[in-house]
Amino acid sequence: MSEHVIAWLGAYHDGELGRRQVRQVEAHLEGCEVCRAALEGLRQLSALLLESPATSDLSPPEHFIAQVGLRLPRRPERPAWYRALEMAWRLTPLGLLAAWAIAQAVLVVSGATLIALQMGLGGEAAAWLLPVLTPVSAEVDLFSLSGSGLNDMRRIAGGLLSYGGPLGWGAVLNLLSLVVIGLLYWSWLASWWVRHRRQQL
Amino acid sequence: MVNSRSWPSEETELELITQAQRGDRRAFGELIRRHREGVVNVVYRMCGDAHLAEDAAQEAFIRAWRHLPKFRPRSPFRNWLYRIATNVALDVLRRERPTIGLDELSLASSAKGPQERVEEEERGEQVRRAVLALAPGSRTVLVLREYEGLSYREIAETLEIPIGTVMSRLNYARKCLRESLAFYLEAI
Repeated sequence: MSEHVIAWLGAYHDGELGRRQVRQVEAHLEGCEVCRAALEGLRQLSALLLESPATSDLSPPEHFIAQVGLRLPRRPERPAWYRALEMAWRLTPLGLLAAWAIAQAVLVVSGATLIALQMGLGGEAAAWLLPVLTPVSAEVDLFSLSGSGLNDMRRIAGGLLSYGGPLGWGAVLNLLSLVVIGLLYWSWLASWWVRHRRQQL
Repeated sequence: MVNSRSWPSEETELELITQAQRGDRRAFGELIRRHREGVVNVVYRMCGDAHLAEDAAQEAFIRAWRHLPKFRPRSPFRNWLYRIATNVALDVLRRERPTIGLDELSLASSAKGPQERVEEEERGEQVRRAVLALAPGSRTVLVLREYEGLSYREIAETLEIPIGTVMSRLNYARKCLRESLAFYLEAI
């Protein structure tokens, strides 16, 4: 190599060159007094810099830590998205309970309404509400066709069947949502327990 | 087998950081204990005043605590702390111009004779003044390289600048120092 390697000497001195570049620089240094002197200058400068002492005026570590501790806010500041996420996490069981209550209410109210209507308690409203609530009310009619004295009981059973059986998709979905809500709630409880345990360790 | 290490040192830095991120002050105290000296020295080299450096180092740790949840362990915690420390040091330098006096010099005991010790202290003081005379950008790179031993990549990550800029600032800083400290370099 005929050109000087001054530009590479800093990186060579700091051990930042690749193996190939190191070989090139070293090969050049063997025959070049100018670059050898420049490298020596860098080494001397590093040695001289270290003669400037680090601060010896440090207070004891405990004192320093206590001083910092006095000025620390209670908790590290969390980013806004993290705070929102944590709030959502805390409110999850409440949300699940609310969803569960709503699903239950829908289940009870719609079931009760349906049965009441089928028992003829709804008056005129039954005539136009029943077909809407039980689109497959023909199945219920199968029971009423028997025309026995236990008419009321059959109507109730029919109402239940039409509500909870394969006839009422709404009921199936409702029950499914209750199961899902239950599962989510228990998963939340389990993960809360795991998190709580980890924090205690 | 006897485990000579005490309990706190058995906790890895990552564990301590995770605990501190959850608000554990004891874990953060241990992190301070491990990095205090490095942080104080970075700030001291940057601003040249021991008392100011300790205050600024405290400020750096408080900033670190506040921003701890943002720390991601992709890069070393030390580098992240040094970035905060250099920023605090630059803020301090902007706020006040410290007057550097010989009384702040280390008067650590030495086996050398009084004359030799005075010369050594004088040389150390001149070096410190020369470093302080550098432009802040070059000074930061030089301090992290020469005193803290960070690699170019680590400096680039710490200061969020390209490696090329690290090299050019370092070369410039060394060129300036070779000129300002020529008297002492020739004497070596």
